[in-house]
Amino acid sequence: MRSARTVKATRFATLFAIAALALPAAVGPAVAKDPVIFTAGTTQDFDSSNPYQTALVSGYEAFQLSFDLLVGFGLDTKPIPGFADKWTRNPDNVTFHIRTGMKWSDGQPADSADACFSWQLALDAHAANANIGLGYLDTGVSDAGVTKVSCPDPETMIAYTTDQSDRIYQVYLPIVPKHIYGKDTYKTIGDEAFNGPLVGTGPYQLAEWKTGQFMRFTRNPNYWGTQGFADEIVLQIFSSSDTMVQALKAGDLQYAHGVNAEQLNALKTAPNIQTVVGAANGWSQLAFNEYGAETGKTIPGGGPSTKALLDPKFRDALGYAVDKKLLLDRVLGGYGDVGSTIVPPVLGDMHVEPDQPRTFDIELAKQKLDAAGYPLDANGKRLDKEGKPIVLRLVMPDSDANYPKAAQFIKDWYGQLGIEVQANVYDSNTLTDLLLPPEAGGKTNLAKYDIELWGWAGNPDPNGLLDIFKCDEIGSLSDSNFCDPAYDALYTQESALSGDARNAVLKTMQNMIYGLAVYDILYYDSNLDAYRTDKFTGLQNMPANGTPLFSYGTFNYTQLKDATAVPTPGPSSAATAAPGTSSAPATPATSATPGDTSSGGSNTTLLIVLLVVVILVVLLAWWYRGRRKSAAADEEG
Amino acid sequence: MSGHFLGRKLGQAAVTIVAIVLLNFVLFRLMPGSPDRILLRNPNATPEAIAAIRERWGLDKPLFPDQLVDYIAATARFDLGDSFKFRGQTVGDVILDRVGPTVLLVGLGELISVIVGLAIGAYAGWKRGGVVDRVGSSVSLVLYSMPYFVIGMPLIVILAAGLGWFPTSGMQDVGAETGFVGGLVDLARHLALPLLTVSLGLIGQYSILMRSAIIETRSEDYITTARAKGLPDGRVLRRHAFPNALLPMVTLIAINFGYVIAGAITAEIVFSWPGLGTLTITALSARDYPVLQGIFLLVAISVVIANLLADLVYGVLDPRVRV
Amino acid sequence: MSAVAAGTASLRAQRWRIRLAGMRSFASRYARRADGMVGLIVLVLFGVLALFPELFVGPLETATTATGNAFDPPSAAHVFGADDLGRDMLNLTVHGARISMTIGLMATVITLVFGVAIGLISGYAGGKLDNALMRISDFFLVLPTFVLALILAPVLIDIVGVDVQILGIRATLMVIIVVIGITSWAATARIIRSQVLSLKERMFVDRARVIGAGPGRIIMGHILPNVVNLIVANAVLTFASAVLTETTLSFIGLGDPFQPSWGQILNSAQESGAPGLGAWWVIAPPAACVVLVVLCFTLVGNALDDLLNPKSQVRR
Repeated sequence: MRSARTVKATRFATLFAIAALALPAAVGPAVAKDPVIFTAGTTQDFDSSNPYQTALVSGYEAFQLSFDLLVGFGLDTKPIPGFADKWTRNPDNVTFHIRTGMKWSDGQPADSADACFSWQLALDAHAANANIGLGYLDTGVSDAGVTKVSCPDPETMIAYTTDQSDRIYQVYLPIVPKHIYGKDTYKTIGDEAFNGPLVGTGPYQLAEWKTGQFMRFTRNPNYWGTQGFADEIVLQIFSSSDTMVQALKAGDLQYAHGVNAEQLNALKTAPNIQTVVGAANGWSQLAFNEYGAETGKTIPGGGPSTKALLDPKFRDALGYAVDKKLLLDRVLGGYGDVGSTIVPPVLGDMHVEPDQPRTFDIELAKQKLDAAGYPLDANGKRLDKEGKPIVLRLVMPDSDANYPKAAQFIKDWYGQLGIEVQANVYDSNTLTDLLLPPEAGGKTNLAKYDIELWGWAGNPDPNGLLDIFKCDEIGSLSDSNFCDPAYDALYTQESALSGDARNAVLKTMQNMIYGLAVYDILYYDSNLDAYRTDKFTGLQNMPANGTPLFSYGTFNYTQLKDATAVPTPGPSSAATAAPGTSSAPATPATSATPGDTSSGGSNTTLLIVLLVVVILVVLLAWWYRGRRKSAAADEEG
Repeated sequence: MSGHFLGRKLGQAAVTIVAIVLLNFVLFRLMPGSPDRILLRNPNATPEAIAAIRERWGLDKPLFPDQLVDYIAATARFDLGDSFKFRGQTVGDVILDRVGPTVLLVGLGELISVIVGLAIGAYAGWKRGGVVDRVGSSVSLVLYSMPYFVIGMPLIVILAAGLGWFPTSGMQDVGAETGFVGGLVDLARHLALPLLTVSLGLIGQYSILMRSAIIETRSEDYITTARAKGLPDGRVLRRHAFPNALLPMVTLIAINFGYVIAGAITAEIVFSWPGLGTLTITALSARDYPVLQGIFLLVAISVVIANLLADLVYGVLDPRVRV
Repeated sequence: MSAVAAGTASLRAQRWRIRLAGMRSFASRYARRADGMVGLIVLVLFGVLALFPELFVGPLETATTATGNAFDPPSAAHVFGADDLGRDMLNLTVHGARISMTIGLMATVITLVFGVAIGLISGYAGGKLDNALMRISDFFLVLPTFVLALILAPVLIDIVGVDVQILGIRATLMVIIVVIGITSWAATARIIRSQVLSLKERMFVDRARVIGAGPGRIIMGHILPNVVNLIVANAVLTFASAVLTETTLSFIGLGDPFQPSWGQILNSAQESGAPGLGAWWVIAPPAACVVLVVLCFTLVGNALDDLLNPKSQVRR
């Protein structure tokens, strides 16, 4: 009887064992080959391999490896050959010459029919007042003023434009093979799976995508340009920058995109690792909800909580309460630039510093608030003109760990002015929904916030960023609900200009937004990347103050060279000299740099501390267990 | 085992699964503003585009009965819809990709901790007050009080980042594929720390439970009889006490299954293990409700089935349960 | 009239005397439990920290009032070092005690209110109502509660809206409290119900019924006092698991970055890359506190359970 039970119990256990043993065979990789692999890591998980469905930098990086744009981005972000190898600007059009004899990665000929098909999709979408997929890519065509494309012969594509701007060379539209997607329209191509193996004209073709793990790209056998040393490119996802840095140090990873300031400082002293501080073409800002400032409209159950936000004098005073230098040092570890105007400094002579900058001075901010008609009450609370204490709702996305940090500073500083700040974090979708006013059309779009802490990233042309402040972006891109017809007029004016004439108008626009304190731009972020130099060389910053990868285009992937094959360190040091010049001038003021030596030491300390704690706890528990036991034994006995 | 008992248990499980499906539907459809919120990721979306996508997702139909009926029918076909976050992928594909790693981690973790935990617990309970009992029980109690990530983080700091014995994250080195054996070694290196974390967490629980089960069994008459007959102590433990104490453990292990998965989720996050746990977090931060729904459904049904199996095994092993 | 009243009063006094004596004997029996006493003492210490954090470490350090530099290692000025914003870890950890313990306490209260109410009603009413309630609690027992909590939390936050404050607690935290409550009442209800079932058959309940006491009066006056023991023991164990769940949910990123609980501090540590930077001092203090508090609650809970729960001499 008893032994029968034992047998059954054992059988139960073996069942478990068999199930567990069978698994590794199913999961383990079974391919046996030895290609040269370049692995680049990011913490941003891919959202799609469909170019029209991605909203993330990682997704852009991925689709550009497989597909060419009509015109590519060179090291200085200036146009280089892409799907088209040359082009001429004519009064009302740009004529592109498509490379002779180019082939898709599956061997089919690639010609102007593919280019026309790809651009026509975007034009069709706009004609129908619709979008392709998410709608981020197709807007490029209309921004460049393209009205029509035609392809008179297999090697020619003519794009007719309304203006003379260079924006047509920055259109982010992948040229996709017509022989595969030809049956699709602008409505359906967004639903295509774009699973590997993909067919494109780019240097590396997507072979497989393991969600949450990696995308693997294999060399395009028919690539038209020079190819890099790597046979395969792997873009790997890490759930934290911490694990990514560990992988980089261990040599499992060649390139890490998006480490934090402390990690970058620690990596600077690591062997065979080059760190890069790339100026980002964008910023993080406080956007004040100014809904109704121009129109007098209000939103029942939503909108800004106080009319004070509509008053430029109020917003101006708040600007004096933010110590941006401290914020930059403490939140970004000093990597980045203090924020000011709406054209980032990375765009060179298009950026200007404001004519009348605001400097950190809490007392001045208080005086300005008093003077503007916002007095303190007996409890030290700042009142608005209706006599109500001002309590501002500060909202931010959960996508950036720096935002809650920055928000703590804002909370404290505004608090010193007698203004309470209620800060909350949302996921990006919920936040977008909450920020939008009723003009966006959704039931839940009530613009129910006071200040938004978020950021924007732009294109090589500043128009993408300037666009946000136009009246017709309310209910769409605008997160301040700012509207001023004078600004719109300036936008139209500068779009048709170029060179110094354009810069003059841009200067007026930057000072206008800064003067009205529509935004309080906290800082221009930076991209902190690091890469290994012992296996591959050839990576160069693009542009010179940017980062090699996760920038514009995929030029650098084609420039990879074998580091071990280089006999002298000459070329490699030339390649790595560039980052030195680009390193942010700002010094990481406060960082304690837990470098390799100190972290090694503290690990030993940690080991000892942990051991001691464990031993202590065990000893204590043992002793009491023992006492308890003897007591119990006595009772039993 | 009587048919009546089997039928009742199957019926209960079926009702529970239906309730889970309904709960799933209610949870995710009654939220304000979603799931069409996902459309608003594109601030440029035109009303026409929004209407088109609402139609595609079936969001234009009334909630009840149309959406509910569609939902139940689709669920029955194992069609869980398309992922919001991973565009162009179905929920089934996204989840299936991640089931393997989690099953591997949880399965091996359960196996190790059942063997080690039960052995420690049984010995500790048998030799109550002995060295094994005192050390084992105290350590178990401390482990039991630790969230899995608290177990995992020091492991990373010391064994992976500090000493470099193990990789810090992931399941495989992409491209370091050197045949089947090499791949297996690679997998084992990556698996070691997450597996250790899950196992340590579970060993604490199982040994505590097993210890008290043995203590209860030890005081029963037949054990006293067996010992009085002069049978060797170890033999009494192995042949008599252990199998009987194992009986309640079967149920406890099954009930525990839900917690094991919960623990695995946090362990996966710490080690970037590409299983259901990391997927849950990704889906959570992207508010990918179809995927969350699918994960919840999968986990809940596996827990129900685990419970059902435990009931049945218990029924087979213990004649008293046959009603 | 008055004689009857006086009689009742003296009866009540007598009952109190008996109860008091019982408590005294319980206290002395508890005092002999060394593990329970150690747990209790540590918990009292944490309770004091949670109630008066300012007394020990001053006001909560914020970004602008931070006294250290980013990732300062432990030193004389900062015994536990500093976090990524330069905030003193000792200060943060002590203030974290308040938030973690508050969440634990409120979640326990919610769990008990629901669990006890449903257990009492179900056990006393019996029949179809009992059956239905127990089916529901079965359902919640089977559900993978943590996964459910993971999913419920964002859904509830979306429904409630984060800018709402309930009882002065921010919605994100309130949601965590409610989620823990929703997912853990069923076990309590089960335990209470089974005790009520056996009490229902006892003499004194029958007597009360005979003299015409209504169900409400019987439950509140006769049954509830007799399950208080069980509730107390159960509450302590619930508290331990509530602290654990809160820590885990916050660690995963469902907490409130503006109210640093221990789980939240660990979450920021993970996000700022502290493990890889070797900044163990950002991880160790909150992690040790969580483990210590959960361990002590378990010790106290087990001790109480052994002494108070008639059914189990040795649980766990």
